[in-house]
Amino acid sequence: MILGLETKKLKRTGYFPAFLAGGLLAAAFPLVNMLARSETFTALPGNPFDILTDANGQMMAMLNMLVSLCGACMMYHTEYADGGAQRMQTLPLRSGRLFGGKLLIASLVLAGMVAVETAALAGCAAHWFPAYTAQLPPLIRNAAFQWLVTLPTVTLTLVIASVCKNMWVSLGTGVILVFTLSIFPQDNPVLSLFPFSAPYQTLAAAAENGRVLLFSGVCAAEVAAFVLLELVCQKVRRCAE
Amino acid sequence: MNLFSLAGVELKKIRRSKILLILLIPVIMMWIPSVVNAAINFDTRDIPITPEKNFLIQGFMGMAWFMVPATLVVCTVLLTQTERSGSAILKMLSLPVNTARLCLAKFAVLILLASAQMVMTIGAYYISAAAASWLQAYPFVLEPLYVCRVALSIYAGAIPMAAVFWMVAVLIPTPIFATGVGLASLVPSVLIINTKIWFLYPVSYPFYLLMVEYGKAAEGVYAARVDWLPWLPAAVLITAIALGIACMRFGAAERR
Repeated sequence: MILGLETKKLKRTGYFPAFLAGGLLAAAFPLVNMLARSETFTALPGNPFDILTDANGQMMAMLNMLVSLCGACMMYHTEYADGGAQRMQTLPLRSGRLFGGKLLIASLVLAGMVAVETAALAGCAAHWFPAYTAQLPPLIRNAAFQWLVTLPTVTLTLVIASVCKNMWVSLGTGVILVFTLSIFPQDNPVLSLFPFSAPYQTLAAAAENGRVLLFSGVCAAEVAAFVLLELVCQKVRRCAE
Repeated sequence: MNLFSLAGVELKKIRRSKILLILLIPVIMMWIPSVVNAAINFDTRDIPITPEKNFLIQGFMGMAWFMVPATLVVCTVLLTQTERSGSAILKMLSLPVNTARLCLAKFAVLILLASAQMVMTIGAYYISAAAASWLQAYPFVLEPLYVCRVALSIYAGAIPMAAVFWMVAVLIPTPIFATGVGLASLVPSVLIINTKIWFLYPVSYPFYLLMVEYGKAAEGVYAARVDWLPWLPAAVLITAIALGIACMRFGAAERR
C-alpha cells in the first residue's frame, strides 16, 4: 500500500521521466564516445566491456548520483512544500515506512537507470568490437555491483532531503558532497568506500584488487546505517517539534 | 520600482536562506586537498609550468568544471522555490511591477551570488596558498592581479551559463527537471571543451577559459586559445536569447 501511495505522490512531479531521461543521457556517453573516436578504444587490449566501462563509468556514476540527488530532493520537496508531511503525520502510518517506501522507489528507479546504462555499454561493445559477444550473467553482475555501490549514496541523499525542509539546502549539501568526494583521490582504499565516492568504482577494478566482497559488504552496511540514522532523526524531530 | 530596489528586495527575501554558507563550504573543501597534497605541484611531469601556477590552476579546476555550474543551479532553485511556498510569487505578480524587470532583478541576484562565491574563492586561495607556502617552504602565492584576472575570466564565462540556467528554471516549473537538466548538463562539459563547437555550449565556458589559462602557463602542452570571433558573438547571443525568453515567460505558469 505504501508503495502505491508514494508512487501516486510522484505522479505529476516528473520523477520517473527524469530518471528515464538521465538513463538515456548516460547511455549516450559511450555511444558518442565510440562514434567520435572508436579507434582509441578498439586498439586497447582486454575485455571490451571493461574498456568501455573504464572510459565512461566515471561520468555515468556522476550522472547517476546527480539524478538520484535531484530525485531525493524532489521526493521530500513534495512533502514539505505545502505541509504534506504534517498531514502524513496525522495518518495512521509509521513514519519510518514512509522513508522505506521512498527508499524502495529510489532504489528501483536507480536499478532501471543502471540497467539502461549497462545495456548501452554492452550494445556499444557488441557493435564496435567484433570479438565480443554479450553474455547475460557478467552483465547482470556488473549492473548489480554498480547498483549496490550507488545505493548508500541514494540512501544518504534521501536522509539529507528528509532532514532539510528547504530544497536548496538539501540540494546544495548533496552537490557539495558529490564535489568534495570527487576531488579526493579515488585510489585511497578507505575514501573509496564512502558514499558519493564508491559509485566511481567499477566491478573490474574492484575484482582486480580483490575488493568485491569488501565493497558489497560495506555498502550494504552503510545502507543499513543510514536507514537507522533516518529513524533516529525522525525520533529527534518528533521530540523537538 | 527600478532594478536596484527590486534587487534589494530580492536580497532581503533570501536573507535567511543560509545560501552563503552553502556557497562557502565547497570553496573551503576545494582547497583542503590542494594544501594537503601541495607537494604534488612540484612533480610537473615535464610540463613546463611553475609550481605556484600549477597550484592555482589545479585548485580552480574543480571550481570551474563542477562547482560554479552546480552552485548556480542551487541558487536558481533558491530563487524560484522561496516564493512557491504560500503562493508568494502570486502576490509579487499582482503588484504593479514589471514582470520582466522582476525577472531581471532575480537574475541580478543570481550573478551577485556567483560573484560572492568568486570573492570567497580568491580569499580561500590566498589563505591556502599561504598555508601551502608555509608547509612546503616554497612561495606559492601569486600576485593579486593575475589571480583576480583568472577568477574574473571564470566569472565572466559563467554569466551566459547563469542566463541559460535561469531560463531553464523559469521555463520548467517542475523543479526536478530544472535542476536535473542543470546538473546533468555539466557532466559532458569535459568532453565538449575538446571539440570545435565548445562555444555553443555555455556550461563549458568557465572550464575552457581556465584551460586556456593553463595553456598559457604551460606552453605547448594544451593548445587552446580564445577565438574571440565565433565565441563572443555566440556568448552574447545565447545570453540575450536566454534572458529574453526568461523575461517573456516569467510568471506564465502562475498567470494561467
